[in-house]
Formats: sequence, C-alpha cells, structure tokens
Amino acid sequence: MRTALCIIGVALATTFVIAVGATTMRYTTVIREMNVLFSGQILVVHENAIVIQAIPIGGSMLRQNRTETALHNVSGVDKTIPILFVTPIEIGGIIRPVPINFSMGIPVNDWQLILGSIPLKGNIGHFPTSESSYEAVIGASLADQYNWTVGKEITVKGFKLNVTGVLDTKLAILNRCIVMPLTIAQGIYVYPKSVNMICVKPMQGYSQEELADTIEQQVPEVNALTEEERNDMIQPVLTQVETWNMGIQTIVFLMSLILVMTVTAMSVTERRRDFATLDAIGAPLSYIFRIVIFETVLIGVLGAILGIVFGSLAALVLASLYTNIPLTMFFPTFYEIIPPFFMFQIFLAVVFVCCLGGIIPAINATRMRIAEVLRAEY
Amino acid sequence: MKIETAELTKKYRLGTSEITAVDKVTFQIAETKFIAIIGPSGSGKSTLLNLIGLNDYPTSGKIFIDGVDALMLSNSERRRTRLFSMGFVFQTFNLIPTLNALENVELPMALAGKPKREQQQKAMKLLEAVGLEKRFLHRPKELSMGEMQRVTIARALANNPQIIIADEPTGELDSKTSKEIIALLFDINRKEKTTVIVATHDEKIVGLADETYVIRDGKLKLEE
Repeated sequence: MRTALCIIGVALATTFVIAVGATTMRYTTVIREMNVLFSGQILVVHENAIVIQAIPIGGSMLRQNRTETALHNVSGVDKTIPILFVTPIEIGGIIRPVPINFSMGIPVNDWQLILGSIPLKGNIGHFPTSESSYEAVIGASLADQYNWTVGKEITVKGFKLNVTGVLDTKLAILNRCIVMPLTIAQGIYVYPKSVNMICVKPMQGYSQEELADTIEQQVPEVNALTEEERNDMIQPVLTQVETWNMGIQTIVFLMSLILVMTVTAMSVTERRRDFATLDAIGAPLSYIFRIVIFETVLIGVLGAILGIVFGSLAALVLASLYTNIPLTMFFPTFYEIIPPFFMFQIFLAVVFVCCLGGIIPAINATRMRIAEVLRAEY
Repeated sequence: MKIETAELTKKYRLGTSEITAVDKVTFQIAETKFIAIIGPSGSGKSTLLNLIGLNDYPTSGKIFIDGVDALMLSNSERRRTRLFSMGFVFQTFNLIPTLNALENVELPMALAGKPKREQQQKAMKLLEAVGLEKRFLHRPKELSMGEMQRVTIARALANNPQIIIADEPTGELDSKTSKEIIALLFDINRKEKTTVIVATHDEKIVGLADETYVIRDGKLKLEE
C-alpha cells in the first residue's frame, strides 16, 4: 500500500514535470522559431514598439510610404517589404490569455521573400494574385480547426476573404496565421497606409549590424533590429523561463527523492528481519544492496511511465485550454508538443532520482547487525 | 568442519551496566556429532550460537574453524563460510514472506550461484525429505508453525552444510511438532553426517544428543 502510494507520488511529480516542461518548451520553441521568417533581414519598427523576436507588440505605427522612402535613401538597403502584423485576431469573439491567432498583410509581390519556399498543402490553390483581391492563405491549424478549405469564404472583422490556399509548414506562428495582401489587411484592420514593421534586405557586402546602425541614425523614430539583436532581446526572457522551469523540476525531483528515500527507509526497517536473515545465511552485501535498489528502480520505472502518460495528457489539455484549440487537434502533433527525447530524458531522470533515493536505505539494509536484529524478534 | 573456541567472551553494554552474555567459553565441536546446549532464557545460548555461526564478533577470545582463526577472516570470507559450510535454523523461522516454500529453499543455492534447474530439483528433494511435498508453492503465512520450521530446515540443508546451527528450533512449536522436528534434525545428523548444534531448553533433546552442554550466566559446562 505504501509502495503504491509512493509510485503514485512519483507519477504525480513526473506528471507535473512533463506538463510544465512540455508547455514551457513549446512556448520557447514557438518564440525562437518566429525569427526564422525574417532570417538574415533587418526589421524596422517604430521606436516605441516592443518587439518579441519578430513580432512588434503595441507602439506607434510607421507611415508606410514615408518610412520606405527614407529607408531607400540609406545606402546599403536593397529592398524593403512593409508588413502589417496583427495579433490577436478574434475568432468567435474569444480572446485567449496568449495570442494564438495572427494576421499578416504582405505586398503580393513580396510573398516569396517572407514566406520563402513554404508550399501550399497538397499543392492546391495559389497565393493571392492582386493587392486589391480579397484573398488569403491560411495556416493549417486554423484550417483544420474551423474546417476552412480552399475556395471557402471566411469573414474577418466583417470582411469576406476567399481562402486560396493552406500553408503547409511546421512553423507554429504560420500555422495560426491568416496571410493576406497588405492593402487588404490595412483596410480590414483600419491602418490605412500604415504598417508596424518593415523588413529590410541589405545589399550584398553590407553587414546587418552596420546597416541597422545607419538606419537608426538616418531614419527618424525607428528602431532597426538585426536578427542577432532580436535574439538577444528575447534571450534573457527565455533563459529566465527555462531557469524557472529547471528550478521547478529540481524542486519536484528533490521532493520525489525525499519521498522515495523515506518510504524505502521505512520498508527496509520493517523488513530488517528479512535482510538480517539474508545476511545470516550468507547473502553477499551486493545482493542485499541490489534488492533495495531494484525496488526503488521499479518504483521509478512505474512512476515514470504513469507520469509520462498522465503528464502528456495534461500537457495536451493545457495546450488546448490556453489556446482554445480542440484537444483532438493536438493528437497528430503529439510528438511536437511532447518530444520523445524529452520524455526519455524525464524517464531517465525519474529512474535516476528513485535509484538515488534507494542508496541510503540500501546501505542501511547491508549494515544490519544480524545478532541484534534477530534477537530483537524474540 | 571442526569448530573450537578459546576463552570466548561476549559482553553487552546495557545503559550504564555491562552484561557478560558469554563468559570465557572454551570448547570443541567435534565433526558429525549432535550437540545440545541447554540453559534457561537469557543464559547466553543464542549469543554463543551467533558467535559460532560467525553472525557476531566476540569481545575477546578466539573461534577456530578447521584451525583457522575466524577473526582473521574478511567479511566476505565469513559470508562464504556461512553460505557454503553452515546451515541455520531459527526459533522464529525467518523465512522470506514474499517467497514460497520452494523459493525459500532455493535461495541459498541461488546465492551460491547454482543453476536454476539444479536449485529447483534439490529444493523439491529437500522439501520432500522434510515431508512438505504438497506445500511447494505455499507462502510462509499459508503454512503451520511446524511446516515453516521444516522449510527452514530444508533451507539450512540447501548447500550441503557441514554444520547445522539451530537456535531454539522447537521454541515456537507444540510438543508433538517439537518431537518431529527434533527427530528430523537427529535423522539429518545420522544420515548425512552433518554436525548439528542445537541451543534449547527442551529437555527432550538432551537424551538424543551425543554431547550436552549447560550454559548458565554465560559459562558453559559439559554435562556428564
């Protein structure tokens, strides 16, 4: 009974570690991969804007024409791509605690520069063809959730858009994104001739750092951020999140260690006659030691397996709760949310911790004073 | 196996006072004999057997096993001696509760590294010899006291020991079962030529023993 409770305790600890760890990992991965979209390019935003990786949050808008003209006057600027990035977009009137749905307006001629070679699912459909066409390509996750298919008409803030394709990508941000022509986005979100970021492609031979510095000197009221700067800005936050996660894991593992150690010590004390008997009939110390360690490893294995199963479910439920995406939609991407290597790491860590918890009781089991223990039973 | 002791003494500290459980015992256990050590409770019988069985260390004095000073043996050599040359029968049986009768008897053979098949065959043979052929798969809690003691005797014989050390083997048993157990030990001694040393306050054993020693206040004396 006590051992069963100990297994449940270890399983609960593992569940917590898996659920919190997987959720944290998911967040940090999503934030890290945001930069992939604008790799090798400088992002120009208003100096008031807070930028999380590639995503400007709040701050003033940039006047599109004026800023683009100013940027083209800077030596080393090869191309500018104005982008309107809006988050969150409300679907069904629900705003979640974390932004999960995004809308992006990109000039139709510059799709390739931003979205690169991302194909459309099943090679069906096409990217919007004209700046004035009410067309959009959508992320696969949005498409699955709302049953949006190519050719279907969707309504965003009262405007009807025709879905011309579904993006086939693993990037979480694009999976939850509606990408439309810039002019249409400006109309829908009521930001006429305004954008909140301009992507700048440096000319060959110009370093990102130097060009960004020049832009900030020559173009008023903007921040020009290189890929490295964007990473540097978010890195302390991600490090802090990961440190907290590590701290929580350490505390939980420490508690498991104490639990296993206490329960095993009690079990060894209760069975001291058995261990003394084994000792009396000549069992090697290593044999007695192994019995106790084997038991704690078994507790670890069973606890870890149960914990991984429940923790994975908990991680999926958490992901579903904070995104309002139905739970079933996460099943196909199960191994992306809880990577097998992460599960394996936690499994090993739990078994190791339980094994560690068994060491002191195992040593005690080998140090029974046979005569005293067996005499005490009379 | 020949066991000799010289001025063997064991003292315990109990609070501020010191108790001499075994007091300068010098005696010899001849091979193949059936030896009884009798004495009242607390006279030092169990302590003496623990010392002879290498389960405890004396405060002073010596134990020689086949002429070798037992105090010079390493811990692992003492274990090997217990495993391969000695068999133990305890008053409270001390069977492993999670193992069935067969597994309990197999245990010393498993510790000795014997093949599983050999363990099983020998354990079955031994349990048959002690009259438990129908109780192989019963756990200790499913056995009567007498049956448990029979399993303990079978376990003690598993590695063909040269000596069986039995500490109050009939202490927990009724008189009929006691007689059976004593007869069984006597039978083993006579048939297998195994030395049997029994600590008891059961007078019935005295008549059967080749030699009877009386222990009182830790002092051992041969009963003439």
